[in-house]
Amino acid sequence: MGIEQGVAAPPMPPPGSLGAFFWAGAREGRLLIQRCSACGTYIHLPRPVCRACRSFDLAPAEVSGRGTVYSFTETYKAFHPFFVDRVPFLLATVELEEQAGLMLLSNLVGAAEPDIRIGMDVMVDFEVLSPELTIPVFRPATAGGS
Amino acid sequence: MSAGRRVAIVGVGYSDVGRHSGLTERHHAAQAAVRALEDAGLDASDIDGATTLGGDAGDFAWMLGMGPLAWHLNFGIAPAFVAPAVEAARAVAAGACETAIAFRLMMQQPSSAAAAAGSAAIAVANVDDTEFQFPFGDFSPTQWAGLLMNRYLHDTDATEEHFAQFAVTQREHAMGNDEALQRAPLSVDDYLSAAYISKPLRLLDCDYPCDSGSAVIFTTEERARDLRQPVVLVDAMALVSDHDMNFELLPDMTHTAPARCADTLWSRTDLKPADIDTAQLYDGFSVITFQWLEALGLCEPGQAGPFIAAGNTRLGGSLPLNTDGGACNVGRRHGANFCIEATRQLRGQCGERQVDGAEVGVWSNAVGPFAGAMLLTKP
Repeated sequence: MGIEQGVAAPPMPPPGSLGAFFWAGAREGRLLIQRCSACGTYIHLPRPVCRACRSFDLAPAEVSGRGTVYSFTETYKAFHPFFVDRVPFLLATVELEEQAGLMLLSNLVGAAEPDIRIGMDVMVDFEVLSPELTIPVFRPATAGGS
Repeated sequence: MSAGRRVAIVGVGYSDVGRHSGLTERHHAAQAAVRALEDAGLDASDIDGATTLGGDAGDFAWMLGMGPLAWHLNFGIAPAFVAPAVEAARAVAAGACETAIAFRLMMQQPSSAAAAAGSAAIAVANVDDTEFQFPFGDFSPTQWAGLLMNRYLHDTDATEEHFAQFAVTQREHAMGNDEALQRAPLSVDDYLSAAYISKPLRLLDCDYPCDSGSAVIFTTEERARDLRQPVVLVDAMALVSDHDMNFELLPDMTHTAPARCADTLWSRTDLKPADIDTAQLYDGFSVITFQWLEALGLCEPGQAGPFIAAGNTRLGGSLPLNTDGGACNVGRRHGANFCIEATRQLRGQCGERQVDGAEVGVWSNAVGPFAGAMLLTKP
């Protein structure tokens, strides 16, 4: 069974998952991270309980979208049909400004690999991969912040 | 020293390890077990404990005529072979059983090319969290390894040339090991000219996929004295977990679970890092070995790269490391090779790659969210 390049659909989050709010937010251009209503701790990935205080009272909260690059890697191999004509691409762990150690896996766009630095300021943007799926991606923050 | 009865490693064995071997998981388990029993001079009926990562311990034991088992344990998500090894040793130490066999079965994954063509299922460690990986193109452990390696290069004095030197040194060791799958000479230029998979990670930073079965038999020191091989004792062991399985989200990628594991290990022994004669440190990706060298205090913090480049880890160096050639060269045996190589070094059975006077060895497994390690000594 052959796969035509560029025709494959992107991998979709499963419907009804604990992370459904994250993807719904992305479709609206908002970065939502689960937050504990009791103690204010941000929790990513979404979980049923707060690891700081054991509260079950958790809700999505919009964050600024500002962060720094903790690490990054340029992937040269496609491991799924959708990515065959997207390689190489930049995968990054971004530390969000709201909380130390609040890490988000995403893609870096708008800069070439040699220009990326660990610790550089980045800002969220949103990329429409299909009518059903929009993902938050990060691009270098403009001088003076945005 | 660990609590309970003193425990020894008395038998080790591999299956006919190879690329797409055509053998089933049960074939590999059976071959490894029969060879470990032969190595020890034990009968199948002597085995009353069994554990495995891969397959089912009870199934393997019944197939081999072992048992009845007084103790058994199957692992799911676990830090490779060190998990069944540590728990087998603990079961013997605690008296849950007398003689336990620990297995690691590992069947080769479909190729990345097959996965990209959409014709093969993609293996993932944590099915529940893939919705935060797949949409970003993150499917492969080579990608989190690329993240860990890039951060490691940023945080330490290591360079890509140091990683090349590591690969070359491991291949030199493999050239002295007729069980290694990769034995052709390798140069620094060969490493540096290989394609990136997920930059800065290159092909030669990865272990070598294959089908493998490994088995190690543990029993009491007292019983070990009556068996076939020189006695190798378990001095101390540690098995830690400190994060969920999302390697990509680790808050400190340079100091991961091996750091906590090493602290726990050293707290359980009178031995010190300077006592180690040979180290067998997991190399599923080369940056993992670099982390372990530093975590265990076998070199200065941030100095694993210069330490390797200076030749310390070669045979004849101050700390011969991964003397079987490592999983990059012997194939993916998921840490069992390091247990078996450390045991053989302490027995003095390693031929041209034997470390002179090897009396204390350490072997380890895994990185990131979990890790394990074991210190072995001679009586």
